[in-house]
Amino acid sequence: MAPTNFALTLALAIGFAFPALAAEDKVYIGYRQKVMTGVGADMGAISDILKNGLPYTAAIAIHADRLADAAALIPTAFQKKVTAGATDAKPEIWQKPDEFEAKIEALKKAADALEDVAEAGDRDEIHLAYKKLGKACGGCHKTFRKPKEESYKNR
Amino acid sequence: MMRAVGAGVGALAAGLAVVATAAPGDEGATAIVRGEAVLRAAGGCSCHTNYPDEGDTAPPLAGGRALATPFGTFYSTNITPDDETGIGAWSDADFLRAMTEGLAPDGSNYFPVFPYPAFASMTRRDLLDLKAYLFSRRPVRRADRAPDAWPPFRWRVSVTGWKLLNFRPHRFEPDPQRSASWNRGAYLVNGPGHCSECHTPRTLTGGLDRSLWLAGSTEGPEGELAPNITPDRRTGIGDWSAIDIAWYLETGIKPDGDDSQGLMAEVIEHGFARVPGADRAAIAEYLLALPAIEHALKAPPRPE
Repeated sequence: MAPTNFALTLALAIGFAFPALAAEDKVYIGYRQKVMTGVGADMGAISDILKNGLPYTAAIAIHADRLADAAALIPTAFQKKVTAGATDAKPEIWQKPDEFEAKIEALKKAADALEDVAEAGDRDEIHLAYKKLGKACGGCHKTFRKPKEESYKNR
Repeated sequence: MMRAVGAGVGALAAGLAVVATAAPGDEGATAIVRGEAVLRAAGGCSCHTNYPDEGDTAPPLAGGRALATPFGTFYSTNITPDDETGIGAWSDADFLRAMTEGLAPDGSNYFPVFPYPAFASMTRRDLLDLKAYLFSRRPVRRADRAPDAWPPFRWRVSVTGWKLLNFRPHRFEPDPQRSASWNRGAYLVNGPGHCSECHTPRTLTGGLDRSLWLAGSTEGPEGELAPNITPDRRTGIGDWSAIDIAWYLETGIKPDGDDSQGLMAEVIEHGFARVPGADRAAIAEYLLALPAIEHALKAPPRPE
């Protein structure tokens, strides 16, 4: 193949491949964000019960159980490395897989602990366990999620 | 809510009990306890601890933390009671002058990255209690660091001009037309809490833009985006309830279930999570009573 033909083929290949890749990436980001939005929804729901004093203490255990399950989905959601586009995932997720895994384990532990105390029903214990769970979110986001000033949402 | 308030008051009472046992009936000890409460209301003074570079091993309150601003990078000072590198040799008058006039004991200016315009409004008792608490801490030997900024911003003498333009010290005056809790919230937000220092955008001369008070800034310390915390429904926190705000200040969890990051996460962890629940409720009441300002924020482009 002559160099010009090669260059042309390469250019065409890149031209076709990149939009296709970007579209595929978008689908992965979409899945990932739905998993994380689910985590946020359960966290927010527990907050609603606790801060507003809703009489749904038993539901907290179910939300906590769902959060522990979500912890099992997070490794799947971040299996494929996608850092470009409308995402706040930092490359550190794939650079420090052990640390990332440890943070997910911390989430599962904190969710399990909340489920246990929620089943026992003591509001003060629940309150404390929930705060620890919130720290598990923050502990992971600190290293692995872009801060708000770099977020795609604020661009 | 009552439970949250109760838990906060309980935690404070527990703190009181611990120190009170150490020195029963000692006025100095109660000043230290009150002073810790002031420090918590000031967000734990966490800018003076170098968490970003040193993590949990950072010596508390020993300074050295880089605070990036549009005028250069400034380093927080050592506020432990070390005689040579900290504030151990300061008199009460030295401390008051620093906090309310932005002047060092030798008469030179502090850079306005130190939020003395907010602290100037605090009661003298709160300030001296804070000093008592700081002086009860372990002294750490760590020399202060000169700023990484271009002239004239690295010159302390330039701050005289800045003060003429931007510094209007005034003490907090309660508004008798408002509730006691609103007044408490106003004091906490504008005094020790120094919320405006990050949440109010700055003018070209680096003063706070009073027309956009607490309406958010994209140029907070460390390059952070500080959201609009006026009750505007679209661009501020107008759709948050007072309970949402108080809960956020205690747990760092927003109404949508997301967590808080950056400096605010520190301010909550070392500060507002450890003030009485009634103070968080007062801050919420005051913020929701502010004039709503429509001010949408977009982060400035930064090099990748």
